[in-house]
Amino acid sequence: MLNPLRSEQEAFRFLLYVVVVAAVLVGIVFAVRALT
Amino acid sequence: MESASIAADVGHDDHHHGPPMPNVSSRVEAQFLGMLLFIISEVMLFGAFFTAYFFIRVVADSGWFPVNDVDLPKAIAGVNTAILISSSFTMHWALEGARNENRNALRVGLLTTALLGLTFLTMKGNEYARIGFAPHDPTQGTIFYGLTGLHGAHVFVGLTLLTFATVRAFRGHFTAKEHRGVEVPGIYWHFVDIMWIVVYTTVYLI
Repeated sequence: MLNPLRSEQEAFRFLLYVVVVAAVLVGIVFAVRALT
Repeated sequence: MESASIAADVGHDDHHHGPPMPNVSSRVEAQFLGMLLFIISEVMLFGAFFTAYFFIRVVADSGWFPVNDVDLPKAIAGVNTAILISSSFTMHWALEGARNENRNALRVGLLTTALLGLTFLTMKGNEYARIGFAPHDPTQGTIFYGLTGLHGAHVFVGLTLLTFATVRAFRGHFTAKEHRGVEVPGIYWHFVDIMWIVVYTTVYLI
């Protein structure tokens, strides 16, 4: 299981996941706003 | 056999000087445990600010922004976000350099990370100077400065840790086996970057 506080490598991997999730979230919000 | 063991222990205690050894009850090293507890407390601190932010945003009748005909500089903050995310890549590169005994990668990586962090803070200060509203103007301004300022303070702390790590790297303190002085600030730096991604997404974009 990924633990971002265990090592720098895992923290960096967690950062990449957060970037992807944030990008997807922003994309969904913008798409919903454009459609409504 | 047991009496021999007790005798050996007594003999060891006779030769031990100074304070007694601390009881290590955790499998996690003390340095990592300290940073772990610190970051958990930081998450709670940011959580309190985000609670205030979402409360203000929900109850604000006129919407989030623009306020006083001023909108948030999303594009400039986006460039600043890219700068901060890229600093995490250089931090990771520096750590890989330390692990592989590549001292140049370690030094250049740490120095670049510190410079990128400094650039982020400078751009943030420039943004504050030109944004067009003060912390006391609207309630939105208060929480905007509160959240971004709290994050900026964390970048400053991270820069201080990076400065120590960079100076130590140039003095040749780190090896492939012993580089906790880079790894622990690295975890903190990634945490600061992750918090900024959350702040930028919620405050500027959504």
